[in-house]
Amino acid sequence: MSQDSSKRLLEGHSVLVVEDEAIISFLLEDMLAELGAAQVRHAASVAAAIALLDERMPDLAVLDVNLGGERVYPVAERLETAGAAFIFTTGYGRSGLEPRWQTRTVIQKPFNIEGLTRALQSALTGR
Amino acid sequence: MSKAAESRAEEPAVAASVALERLIRSPAALVENLPIGIYTCDRDGMLAQYNRCAAELWGSTPVLGVAESRYGAVVRTLDMNGNPLAPEDLPMAEVIRTARPVRDRELVVERTSGQRLTLLANADPLFDEQGKLSGGVGCIRDIGKLKTMQRRVGEARHVGRYVMEALPIALYTTNAEGKLLFFNKAAAKLWGRRPELGSAYWCGSHKILLANGTPVAHDQCLMAVALREKRALVGPEAIAERPDGTRVPFLPHPTPVFDSEGEMIGGVNMLIDLSEQKRASAQQRSLIDELNHRVKNTLATIQSLAAQTLRVSRDAGDRDFESRLLALSRVHDQLTHRNWEWADFALIANDTLMERSGAADARVCLDGPTVPLNARTALAVAMVLHELAANAERHGALSTAEGRVTLSWNVRSNRLFVDWREEGGPPVTAPTRLGFGARLLERSIAQELGGTPRLEFAPGGVHCTMEIPLPEE
Repeated sequence: MSQDSSKRLLEGHSVLVVEDEAIISFLLEDMLAELGAAQVRHAASVAAAIALLDERMPDLAVLDVNLGGERVYPVAERLETAGAAFIFTTGYGRSGLEPRWQTRTVIQKPFNIEGLTRALQSALTGR
Repeated sequence: MSKAAESRAEEPAVAASVALERLIRSPAALVENLPIGIYTCDRDGMLAQYNRCAAELWGSTPVLGVAESRYGAVVRTLDMNGNPLAPEDLPMAEVIRTARPVRDRELVVERTSGQRLTLLANADPLFDEQGKLSGGVGCIRDIGKLKTMQRRVGEARHVGRYVMEALPIALYTTNAEGKLLFFNKAAAKLWGRRPELGSAYWCGSHKILLANGTPVAHDQCLMAVALREKRALVGPEAIAERPDGTRVPFLPHPTPVFDSEGEMIGGVNMLIDLSEQKRASAQQRSLIDELNHRVKNTLATIQSLAAQTLRVSRDAGDRDFESRLLALSRVHDQLTHRNWEWADFALIANDTLMERSGAADARVCLDGPTVPLNARTALAVAMVLHELAANAERHGALSTAEGRVTLSWNVRSNRLFVDWREEGGPPVTAPTRLGFGARLLERSIAQELGGTPRLEFAPGGVHCTMEIPLPEE
C-alpha cells in the first residue's frame, strides 16, 4: 500500500489504546499517530478503560488481552455492544484468546506498522 | 413333545438298557478290567456283581446278595458336607426306588483304614425284556485328584483376582459376548460407579464419548470392536462420563482372551487414566504460554525503546532493526507451537517469504518437504533466510515486479540442503563491504551449526546454498 493511503486510514478517528506496559503504549501511540488518528486516549486497566468508554465511545480500540493478569474482555464486550471496531494485541497469539473472541482480529506482539495497518483495516471493514 | 413322539423315544432307551444289562452280566473281561468301579444290584437292591476297580475303591471285597452290602453300601459313606449317609440315601437306592438315573453325585467313602476318598457316583436303572425294572448299575470314580486340581485352579483364580483388584490401573473382564464378569477398584473409581454384573455389557462406564465429545454407544466402544474382530486394540483416546457429569479422559487397551484351543472365551480391557497426564501437559502448556507472553512483550518493549531512543522516523536503519526483531519473533512462534522442541523448515520459509506482507507473493516459489529443525538450527536458519529476503527486497529480485526467488530444499543422509536462487532482478554487483547478512550466514551456518554456506553474487541474481547437518535426536 502507498504511504498516503495508510496515512489516511485513521484520519478523523478517535482511538482508545488499552495497554498496561507504558513503553509498548508509546510505540502504539506513535504508530496510530502515523496512521492519521485524530485523537488517541490511553488506559492501562479494565476500570480505567471503562471510565473512558463512559465518557465517550471511540471509533476504534486496540486492546491488550492481558493487563497484568487482568483480562480485557469486559472492555471488548462494551465496545461490541456499542458497535465500535476493535482489535486485540497479545503475546500469546490467537490461541491465547477465549473461544468467544477467537473470530475477532488479533495481532501478535511484536508487530510493525504494516501488521498493525492490516489488522486495523480488517477490523474497520469486517463489521 | 407329543405323546406319540414320547413313546417312540422310549423304545430305543429300553433296548439300550437291555443291551447294557447283557454286557454287564456277561463275564466279559472288559468290564472287569475297566478303570472305573462298576457294580450292579438286583431289584431288591442286593449287590449282584462288582468289578475289580470297585473293590479297590471300597478297599473291600463285599459278599454278594446280603443285607450288609445292600445298594452297594459296602463302606461308610458321607455326603460332601461330611454327613453320614444311610444305605437308603445312596444313589443306587434312589435308582431302584424311582427307576430314574442319578447323575454325578459326589460322595466321600471312608475305608476301614480311615482313609477317605472322594467319589463321583452315577447310577442307572436296568430293565428286563418286558421293560420291567430288574435292578441298577452303579459307576464310581475317584475324583480326589480332580478335586485337588479344581481347588488349585480356584486358588489360582483367587490370586489372579486379588492381583487384578490391587492393580492401580482400571481393568475389567467380560465373556465372549461382552457381558461384564469382573472389574477392579480402579475401574469403579474411573467410572465413578459400580456397574451391575450380569446386566452390564462391553464397558462399565455411565457414558462413553470420543475425544471430540461425540457420544459412543456401549456396543460400539473399542472393547466391543476388539471382541467382534477378535484382536487386541490400543486407543484412540476416549472420555468416560461419570453419573455425576465429571469426565475422565482415558486410553483403552481391549484384548480378547483365547483358550488353549484358540476359541475366544472373553476379553480384558485396561483403561489408562489420562487425567494426570493432561493436567501436567496443560500446566506445561500454560508455562510456555506465559513465557511466550513475557518474551513477546519484552521484544515489543525493545522495539519501542529503539524507536523512542533513536527517534529516527522510519529510515532504513530503523526498519532493518524492526524487521529483524519481527523475524526473531516469528521463529519464536514456530518453536512455541512445538513446545520449543522443534520447528518446521517449510513453515519458517513460508513465514519468512510469504507472510511478511500478509499475503502470498507470486514472485516466490517454495519447494521442499517438512523438515523438523531443533531450536538452535531453527533460530539460525530463520535469521539467515530473513537477511536473504530483506536483501532481495531492497536490492535483488524482489525489488522489481518481474523478479523471482526460488527457495528449494531437501534432506539427504541427515543433512539439509538449501538452495536460494534469485532471477530477473536488477544486475547484481558484488558488494564492496561484507553486510550483516553475509556475516551472519558465515558465522551462524558455518561456525555455529557446522554447515557449509556458499554465497554467490552472480550477475543474473544472488545464488546462495547451505548444507546444514541435522543432529540425530
